[in-house]
Amino acid sequence: MSNNIEEEITKMVSEILEVPVEQLNPDVDFFKDLDVDSLKAIEIVAAFEKMYRIIVPEEDIPKIHNLGQLVEYTKNKTS
Amino acid sequence: MNTKKIVVTGLGVIAPNGIGKDQFWSSLKRGESGIKPIERFDTGQFKCKKAGEIHGFDPARYLGQKGLRSLERSSRLLCSAAKLALDDSALNIDSNNTDDIGVCTGTTLSSLWNVAEFDKGAIQDGPRFTDPALFPGTVMNAASSQVSIRFNIQGFNTTISTGFSSSIDALKYAMDFIRLRRIKAVLVGGVESLSLVNYSGFYRLGYFAGLRGEEISCPFDRRRNGIILGEGASVIVIEDEDHALQRGANIYARVNGIGNCFDAFKMGKYHPEAKGLKESIREAMRNSELNASEIDYISASANSVWDQDRLETKAIKNVFGKYAYNIPVSSIKSMIGETFSAGGLFQIAASIGSMYKGFIPPTLNYQDRDDDCDLDYVANESRITRINNVLINNHGPGGSNASFILSKWN
Repeated sequence: MSNNIEEEITKMVSEILEVPVEQLNPDVDFFKDLDVDSLKAIEIVAAFEKMYRIIVPEEDIPKIHNLGQLVEYTKNKTS
Repeated sequence: MNTKKIVVTGLGVIAPNGIGKDQFWSSLKRGESGIKPIERFDTGQFKCKKAGEIHGFDPARYLGQKGLRSLERSSRLLCSAAKLALDDSALNIDSNNTDDIGVCTGTTLSSLWNVAEFDKGAIQDGPRFTDPALFPGTVMNAASSQVSIRFNIQGFNTTISTGFSSSIDALKYAMDFIRLRRIKAVLVGGVESLSLVNYSGFYRLGYFAGLRGEEISCPFDRRRNGIILGEGASVIVIEDEDHALQRGANIYARVNGIGNCFDAFKMGKYHPEAKGLKESIREAMRNSELNASEIDYISASANSVWDQDRLETKAIKNVFGKYAYNIPVSSIKSMIGETFSAGGLFQIAASIGSMYKGFIPPTLNYQDRDDDCDLDYVANESRITRINNVLINNHGPGGSNASFILSKWN
């Protein structure tokens, strides 16, 4: 399950950001390293919400800066 | 205000019968139609099956792969045509001149697909799970804005949506900006894209050829019974003549007289006397200071709709009198379909080819004469001739009419 979540989220982020999966390690910072703007960030959140049927509270969004944090967040919410 | 001369220095076309100006002109000259059975969506539930659909269009070839994901089809088409036009005009845009360049686009239905997809998400998944990436593309000025974003054009950006006359109205707006000395060059574009949504809309309104007769685009012919929808984008670069000369640009043609007139009659009905179109042509002629005998060709708005073709003929005869019989008139919509708000820009792109390559594109599928349509329609085969001045008409049942004269430069 946890591997699946990691793979699913990596694939989703890779598609939205148009960045190959190989370049997306858990510590790469969305904003500093991948130049993610506010629209792309919202797109990632929306795709994530739809995929896992989770509503991400506004206050949680700024806490997620990289793939590792997003995977961790998902695991906590789906467990 | 009217003393400034304006010229066309670049052209980019993505049309159902040709991608790029050379392919487009060559198809028009050979009388090659882009109207074929639709492949993009299933037409099984419709009685009609055809459209001027663009095949073999690879936006990555013009725009690169990066960023394409967030561009819907209309923006892909318009940005690609803009890229071709910019390359053709050799106009470089940088921080020194970005404020001197503008974008003006004619379109009406180009955002419909995004609106439908966004709504579909809300219905299927609930309003809390809609796709925010689709939302920016739901507005009518999305495609035009994407051109400014992609090519960093900051002078102005306007979308004109006046239905059938949007292209020429967009050109007029852009010309005013140049004549008021507020801008030096403008990318004037037109775009519409084919989707199940707009196809279904026109079908349900009963506008399509094939519902009451043969499914064919045959302007001015007695068999005409409705439109065949088309899609695509066409962009021209227009600029102040001095600016073009200073930078040594290749000049295709001179933007000459232009006129428009609103004559709304009844919902979905043409003005029975084509009052607006007549007035538009007269205004364009007055502004150009040309005589009737100097018009070498009329690029018609005729789209195979019974009243539209008949009334355009009536307006031409009313304005030009007996001389109308000496002017060749043809409709490229017989080869690309009705591209609605982009139609005028396709007619301009075709007319530049007419001037540059010396031919008049034919009215394809012309076979049965209608007594109300009795002009020289350049039937089925293009005509080789020298063209100095072209009159281009945009006309439709919504009340918006516009006419424009393109003239040979020097």
